[in-house]
Amino acid sequence: MVWAWLIPVLSFAAVPLIILFGKRLPGKGSPLAILAILAGFAIFWVVFAGFLSASPDTEGCEIGVGTEALTCNFQITWFEAGIPGADTKDHDRIEVAWGMTIDPLTVAMLGLATFVALMVQIYSLGYMHGDPRIDWYYAFHALFIASMLTLVLADNFLLLYVAWELVGLCSYLLIGFWHERPEPREAAKKAFIVTRIGDVGLLVGILLLWSQVGSFSMTETFAAVEQGELSQGVITVSALLLFLGAMGKSAQFPFHVWLPDAMEGPTPVSALIHAATMVAAGVYLVARAFPLFSASDTAMLVVATVGLITALGAATIALVATDLKRILAYSTISHLGLMMLSLGAFGYTAAIFHLLAHGFSKALLFLGAGSVMHSTEELDVRKMGGLRKVMPITAILFSIGALSLGGIPILAGFWSKDEILVAVNKDLPVIFIVLTLLTALLSALYMARAMFVVFYGRFAEQFEHVHDAPPTMWITMGLLAVLAIVFGLLALDLPGPFKGIGYAIFYHEGHGLEIVIWLAAVSTVLAIAAFIYGYLAYARKSVNLEGARRTFGWPLKVAENKYYVDEVYQWTVDRVVLSFSRFIAWVDRALVNDVGINGPGDVTRVLGDRLKYHVTGYVYTYALAMALGLIGLAIFWWVVSG
Amino acid sequence: MNSFDQSALLLTILVPLAGAGLSMFLPRNRPNDAWYFAIFVSAITLVISIGLFVRYDFGVGGYQFQRIYEWLDAPLNIDLHLAMDGIAATLVLLNGIVLFGAVLISQTIKHRTRDFFVLLLSLGSGVFGVFVAQDLFFLFFFYELAVLPMYLLIGVWGSSTIFDPDRQRLWGIPIPFDLGSYNRPKEYGAMKLMLVLVAGSVLIWVGILALYVASAQVGQGTFSMVELGILAERGEFSPAFQNWVFPLFMIGFGVLAGLWPFHTWSPDGHVAAPTGVSMLHAGVLMKLGAFGIIRVGMVLLPDGAEAWMPVLIVLGTVNVVYGAISAMSQRDLKYIIGYSSVSHMGYVIMGIATLHPVGLTGAVLQMFSHGIMTALMFAMVGAIYERTHIRDITVLNGLMKRMGFASFFFAIAGLASLGLPGLSGFVAEFMVFVGVFKTYLPLAVLAVFGAALTAIYILRLLARTFYGEPDPRWEGLNDASPVEKSVGAAFVLILLFVGVWPAPLTRVINVGVDSVMRLF
Repeated sequence: MVWAWLIPVLSFAAVPLIILFGKRLPGKGSPLAILAILAGFAIFWVVFAGFLSASPDTEGCEIGVGTEALTCNFQITWFEAGIPGADTKDHDRIEVAWGMTIDPLTVAMLGLATFVALMVQIYSLGYMHGDPRIDWYYAFHALFIASMLTLVLADNFLLLYVAWELVGLCSYLLIGFWHERPEPREAAKKAFIVTRIGDVGLLVGILLLWSQVGSFSMTETFAAVEQGELSQGVITVSALLLFLGAMGKSAQFPFHVWLPDAMEGPTPVSALIHAATMVAAGVYLVARAFPLFSASDTAMLVVATVGLITALGAATIALVATDLKRILAYSTISHLGLMMLSLGAFGYTAAIFHLLAHGFSKALLFLGAGSVMHSTEELDVRKMGGLRKVMPITAILFSIGALSLGGIPILAGFWSKDEILVAVNKDLPVIFIVLTLLTALLSALYMARAMFVVFYGRFAEQFEHVHDAPPTMWITMGLLAVLAIVFGLLALDLPGPFKGIGYAIFYHEGHGLEIVIWLAAVSTVLAIAAFIYGYLAYARKSVNLEGARRTFGWPLKVAENKYYVDEVYQWTVDRVVLSFSRFIAWVDRALVNDVGINGPGDVTRVLGDRLKYHVTGYVYTYALAMALGLIGLAIFWWVVSG
Repeated sequence: MNSFDQSALLLTILVPLAGAGLSMFLPRNRPNDAWYFAIFVSAITLVISIGLFVRYDFGVGGYQFQRIYEWLDAPLNIDLHLAMDGIAATLVLLNGIVLFGAVLISQTIKHRTRDFFVLLLSLGSGVFGVFVAQDLFFLFFFYELAVLPMYLLIGVWGSSTIFDPDRQRLWGIPIPFDLGSYNRPKEYGAMKLMLVLVAGSVLIWVGILALYVASAQVGQGTFSMVELGILAERGEFSPAFQNWVFPLFMIGFGVLAGLWPFHTWSPDGHVAAPTGVSMLHAGVLMKLGAFGIIRVGMVLLPDGAEAWMPVLIVLGTVNVVYGAISAMSQRDLKYIIGYSSVSHMGYVIMGIATLHPVGLTGAVLQMFSHGIMTALMFAMVGAIYERTHIRDITVLNGLMKRMGFASFFFAIAGLASLGLPGLSGFVAEFMVFVGVFKTYLPLAVLAVFGAALTAIYILRLLARTFYGEPDPRWEGLNDASPVEKSVGAAFVLILLFVGVWPAPLTRVINVGVDSVMRLF
């Protein structure tokens, strides 16, 4: 278990190796990245086994503060600053550690991240085949996953922030990977800057916690919260500040705008961003800082509300989007919203469970979309149809992912979504559960739409000659599909020592699978109805949608335009930020420099120019000056002496 | 003390100075010989500065490598007293590195090469002198030695900037004044830089004389910073006295640190200067100002410092935000870096103004980090300008394909500049944030926000200049030369090293900060 640090470090090590020697290695260094993450995945199992056999007596392990789950910490000093030897509690010195914490949450995230990254990297062998910059692609990939793994292992907020920013950087690099075209370039910039603005909140929140606790360590911070050393105001404010960062990374409203644009990157990158890395970070942060969040009702309510708004809004956009990848992107935003909602409703287990289940399913869906795009070079769903004829494997695998996320029973998405519904129903006002059910319905509906429009229905003739995915691509998708099917069963009390995920990943105390019969029934009926309706409307075309389009013309247009959020941002940046910047630049040049700095210079020159005439060289000028001076002095003397 | 320890500080000053002197005797028409000789000289100083840094014992702390060379007796009492503490050790190392890099990069200087290196080496010598002098007279002497060559270096070897008037529209409406045109001849840049800095020097000199007179009133008049420091610690200088002398140093040195609103010499100076000079100028010279505020202002006038710090921190915050916002709408690569320097020196000023140990450590580390980072940026911009003869980012496009190495190095420097963890800028800025957060909370939020603004202009620059389809105009363009590549690679490695493992620097800086903070 002590060797968990090797998981990210191996991938980190692969980065410079690929950059320096990639050109000369077979496959331009791609095997190096894959080997690194494969080894990481293997070590994950060692760590997992080690963690299972660990107990509070194991060195470095204890029962975690707040979570009440087994938590193991290992650390070494990174750097110190300030007065040597001063007490850190006095804030005259900071001490930052390379430290890792291993608890059930970390183990779960490690598993998700290493597995999905491994699948995506193998898949990319086929997808990115022949790309001239494949060495850079794999270098960025390795850095990306290494940063994410560091993020989930970090035991202090500063290290978490370090990894957090690196994750942001890598998504910038990968989204903008095809920087020759303007769209990826702009999308990358947008992703970085939008998340960076959220990160201001995160960093300020970390500093605020430090200024109260005197340490960046999570354990110490949560202990301070637990023992009531922090005032309620500080807890709320710092939780909300941390949440700002999480909103940026996890694409919560109104910071969600970067995620759909991030589609401009290569599709496997989208799979990674949407399933295991970038967007998972925000949910992870809230879960990690749960002792802090759960101590403030205000913060929890904000988390839940933002999550609900995001979930519902994004689901409606996904329903009308026409770009396959964008449908999936808004679906991700919606599901991230559900996870946040669940966290805000104290559904800790449900949120993490859904994060995992969604991760496997969404990675599968993106890789499926990538397979479609790879073969057809088309993403507009209106031009597709009946693709199962030419790409049967992709069609089946994609459908599994769609059904899972749509919440069809037995599949992974059903169980986790059900857990969320239970949590929301338990603690929040009734409006929340109503809207959550609506979101669930919409999410089944748009999944049905994506699946039926693309793969079923009338065959689009122009795709006559396309062929299915190569083995590297469909094998990885197959593995993800297996998980999308069976992963949900972990919710159950299986025979053997495993008593359900509620006893493995929990906050405060473990609990078994909770099912509220009417909720499960309603959600199941909604999901199945949505898929049947989708089949009729999009595959059989037996339901005419024109009438509905006319009836809902206006709201439909608003949703199709993504509620004009992008436009508002664009306007703000162009008209406010850039204008202001130009104004300041003008002030700097015209006022500060030309008046403030050149002014005295000009005055001096002009004065000198004028004053030089008093040196005339004529005796009578000097005589006059003397006379005037004498008179002046005489008057002065007369006045002074009174 | 072995012989290295005894003579090293003097050598850091004398070697470049002697190199400058000897360069004058090189043949005029063999530019490469002058370059080789300058490399040889700056390599020696680099070795000495590394040696000094490594041999500085951070376990013991305080001033080390002390040497006093007597010069003038009473009543003036001026001696060449050299010593180095942890803060100075870091900056001496910085100067050694940047001077060496700047000399290497100046391979492209073909016009009056010999004279160029005479001035460049004298400048380097002056910078070393300021960092290690323990006597106000010599500190001032070296300060002027570092500043004065800039005038000629820019005036003779610089380049003028003329943008065609490009009338701007605000919200689509034409406006009577135009926002985007510049006409900045190099002579203007050189003259402004000189006059503003000399005006600052006048304030410093008045302050130094005031300290001498004040020390004469309580005993023997002295210029020795050690003796003045003892007087200050005993509280011999009245608060009223300190309160009017400290601003002299704060503004006087602050001008060189790019303190708002006296910063405009800096972008114009950076832009007009040739590459190697920009590197030294932004990389090291601006740090002299910040160093002066710490060493002279804070140590000798602690009460004055405490009284004036609220003003200084507000100005520093303005620097950070105002510099970043100004940089956002610049079009010239060098102007962007110039305003970025103004913004980043703001963090240094803020860190100093916190009077908080962590903040002050951050300020010193930021000086080091910014020195390397900005020198690297100027070096790469120089390489680009040398080949394309364009610095306008709205015209440059797609350089990544043709100049991969130069683009890569610039991008890393840019990422360091926007405070990416893993590179040196983050660690330094973070410490400054910590310090400011503990002392002036609202300003800390502004400062963090300023760091986010940095991302906007850096990414805009990267996207415009380096990304995109390669332009047919750059068809025959060569990538960075071997010299430029090695300088770039070395500087990138330093940025990475400090970002990943700052402890070797911070443990040295910490002891220096410790002795300064004891006064507060």
